[in-house]
Amino acid sequence: MSARENKDTTYKIQVMRDILAKKLTRSVVGSLVACVHCGMCNEACHYVLTHPDEPKMTPSFKADQLRKLFKYNYDWTGRVIPWWVGAKEPLSDADLEALKDIAFGTCTNCRRCTLNCPMGVDTATLNRIMRGLLSAVGVMPEGVRVVSKDQWEVGNQMGVLKEDYLETLDWMSEELVNEVGDESARIPIDKPGTEVMYTINPREAKYDPRTIAAAAKIFWAAGESWTMPSEGWDQTNFGLFSGDDQLGGASARRVYEKMKELGAKRLVISECGHGYRSTRCEGPNWVGIDQDWEMESSVFTMLRYLQEGRIRVDRNKLDRRTTYHDSCNLARSCGITEEPRELLRMVSNDFVEMVPNRAENFCCTGGGGAMSMSEYTPRRLKSAKVKADQIAATGAKIVVTSCHNCVDGLSDLIKHYKLGCEVKQLVELVADALVIEDCAVMRKSKAVVEMPKPALPLHGRRILVVDDEPDVRVFLRTVLEDAGAEIYEAPDGDHALAMARKHKPDLITLDLSMEGKDGVSTFAELRSDAEIAGIPVCIVTGHPEFRELIYQRAVPVPDGYMDKPVKDAELVDNLHRILGLAEHHKAPD
Amino acid sequence: MPAHEPSPFLHAVEITHWLALGVMVVVYTLRIRWLLSFRATRDRQRPSNSHRTDARRGAYYSLANVLMPWAMESTRRGFAFYMTFALFHLGVVAGISLAFLSTVARPFLRHPVVSATILGLLFAAFAIGLYRIGRRLLRPVMKLISTPDDYFSIVMLTSWFFLGILTELSIISRLAGEGYAVGYLLLTSFFLLYVPFSKISHYLYYPFTRIWLGRTLGHRGTYPLVKG
Ligand code: SF4
Ligand code: SF4
Repeated sequence: MSARENKDTTYKIQVMRDILAKKLTRSVVGSLVACVHCGMCNEACHYVLTHPDEPKMTPSFKADQLRKLFKYNYDWTGRVIPWWVGAKEPLSDADLEALKDIAFGTCTNCRRCTLNCPMGVDTATLNRIMRGLLSAVGVMPEGVRVVSKDQWEVGNQMGVLKEDYLETLDWMSEELVNEVGDESARIPIDKPGTEVMYTINPREAKYDPRTIAAAAKIFWAAGESWTMPSEGWDQTNFGLFSGDDQLGGASARRVYEKMKELGAKRLVISECGHGYRSTRCEGPNWVGIDQDWEMESSVFTMLRYLQEGRIRVDRNKLDRRTTYHDSCNLARSCGITEEPRELLRMVSNDFVEMVPNRAENFCCTGGGGAMSMSEYTPRRLKSAKVKADQIAATGAKIVVTSCHNCVDGLSDLIKHYKLGCEVKQLVELVADALVIEDCAVMRKSKAVVEMPKPALPLHGRRILVVDDEPDVRVFLRTVLEDAGAEIYEAPDGDHALAMARKHKPDLITLDLSMEGKDGVSTFAELRSDAEIAGIPVCIVTGHPEFRELIYQRAVPVPDGYMDKPVKDAELVDNLHRILGLAEHHKAPD
Repeated sequence: MPAHEPSPFLHAVEITHWLALGVMVVVYTLRIRWLLSFRATRDRQRPSNSHRTDARRGAYYSLANVLMPWAMESTRRGFAFYMTFALFHLGVVAGISLAFLSTVARPFLRHPVVSATILGLLFAAFAIGLYRIGRRLLRPVMKLISTPDDYFSIVMLTSWFFLGILTELSIISRLAGEGYAVGYLLLTSFFLLYVPFSKISHYLYYPFTRIWLGRTLGHRGTYPLVKG
């Protein structure tokens, strides 16, 4: 055998060989021996399409890294004349680092090449195995190491502590109870014997708790008997990304055991591609148990509620064009393509398909744990051009996806390529579109206790937030909704005018610098249209220099003016004041 | 066995060729045993999309994929490449038929339709072989993923098609002498012995990989693909 760099490397290679031996199932060996190096999978890969001068992006090159190791140890020819068939083992730490760069940095394990290989070679699975071998000897991106450690030690991949998680649920419960005025809308925790146990992606608890509140609202509206567990709530699984089946099994087992402990009948998995694949599809294999309980994506749950009439939605509440991005894990690895579309059509009047779509869709480029590997961000964003072009071609303002990873991946590329749209999940759209009066919870019980609404400063106020930056809109929405307001959003001047005419909001917050019709022209038009001229407007801008332009117009001046960045309390106070004044002016003497 | 009047040398080559076939069958049997010696797995989760598919349907669909150029984006977009792939493999079938029929049914190979078909397919496969050699040598991606076995296999196969053309021409008396047939059968014998150790044995694995992938994706509700 060739000289190894040192004993440590020799040991690592031996460990890799041992683990490889355990991973060699028939189908894996089939994929290892069947590649004819025809190159037909080449153009299936988003890395290839965006890096035309880098042949190493081709899928078979990535799979060949494992193939070399396999051939060197198992293949008849490879063991006798390794160079003839490209059989080889890594010899140094530098070789291992190079392998790490290929396995983690040039492939999102999206499986698109797999579906385009005439031989049925599952390149994505081979790449995952290579990741597993490298992870086992500690050769992995720092982000993968940290996240895996958190999932092993804390029990979820973002290291969310139990008290923080419970506090977040409590906070969301408060919000929901305030919103719907029903104390029974509180999120049940560890309630035994329910129909549904609902699990989430830790990203929801840490960064995006509104999706939890949205799901809770839907369960409440449907009159569902449900609970969230205090432990075993993380449906995600970094084992899928790192290739570590043991972590995969341990994480899935936590969820299954909690479900059995609580005696829930059905495990409902929130919208998360890899979470669903890990929990629903791979988990039983990793754990080594046959699935003898119900498990489904929340997409199916919401759809069923609608089909059974347990909830009703008004699709007219959403007046922007939507498109749907299929998560690779859902569409290619778990066969979920039609249900999300059915659901989306129920809440969106203007839905257009992305091309290609379903199992042929391109990866969001944030898959395979790519979002946690910051060292590969420039390459990831470059590879995202394919997705950006797909989205831009739809003209959609909302990209809907049933995956948290995709939300992050897509949001990042939308910002990078300045696409001017935002990403939402079905749970948010369904919750926003609910017609509560027609939902099971209202029909079932007249005994719903009308809670006295706390005196929130903007309670009952309908505010139209106009800003082309999705992040700013989310911020304004969050702050204003917390203050009790009902929010409409518009990303540009034309939408703002249309929505103002349609909804007649109590107040409009208006950005000045926007793509399309800018805020200054929008304001002038607003003030010139008798139907909406009286709506108070508060300018919220990052360009104080435009202030002058507004005042140059021969129309009544705005009712308020705030410079970005705005502070929560100041914003609420200002709007409260403007609305108070407006009312005062309207009131008869 | 041989049903014509070959020279003793050609006769010996024909015998060698049949013996090589016997060896290949044995080695292939061992190859399949080796493949099946690895652990079989099964999906333990409940099936998905069971209203429209299952593991069996997925396997059939996957197996038939090669005949459905519209099923995969790679064959839809690369339809010309798909056609070269189809012709190349038909050329292989023609070449194998030629090798065996030349030892047992030479008159059949003189039938005008048969000889025209074989010559046509062999010629097409030969031209595609040349194209493939060029593609492998010139395209950076192909160069990167090619091993000596890949180059050797395509060069040998292309030479085999060429010799096959000459052999068929000699059978229909357009060329004189049995040297072509000798060379062709020797090369075929070499292939029969070499193929189980090279990438050319992919066709042996093809049904296995396609069925296994198809079973998995059928059970999980992905295969047959739903098109938008
Ligand atoms: S993985 Fe499949 S498509 Fe890609 S080079 Fe290998 S055989 Fe060809
Ligand atoms: S799995 Fe996806 S990212 Fe990886 S090589 Fe294949 S197509 Fe490219």
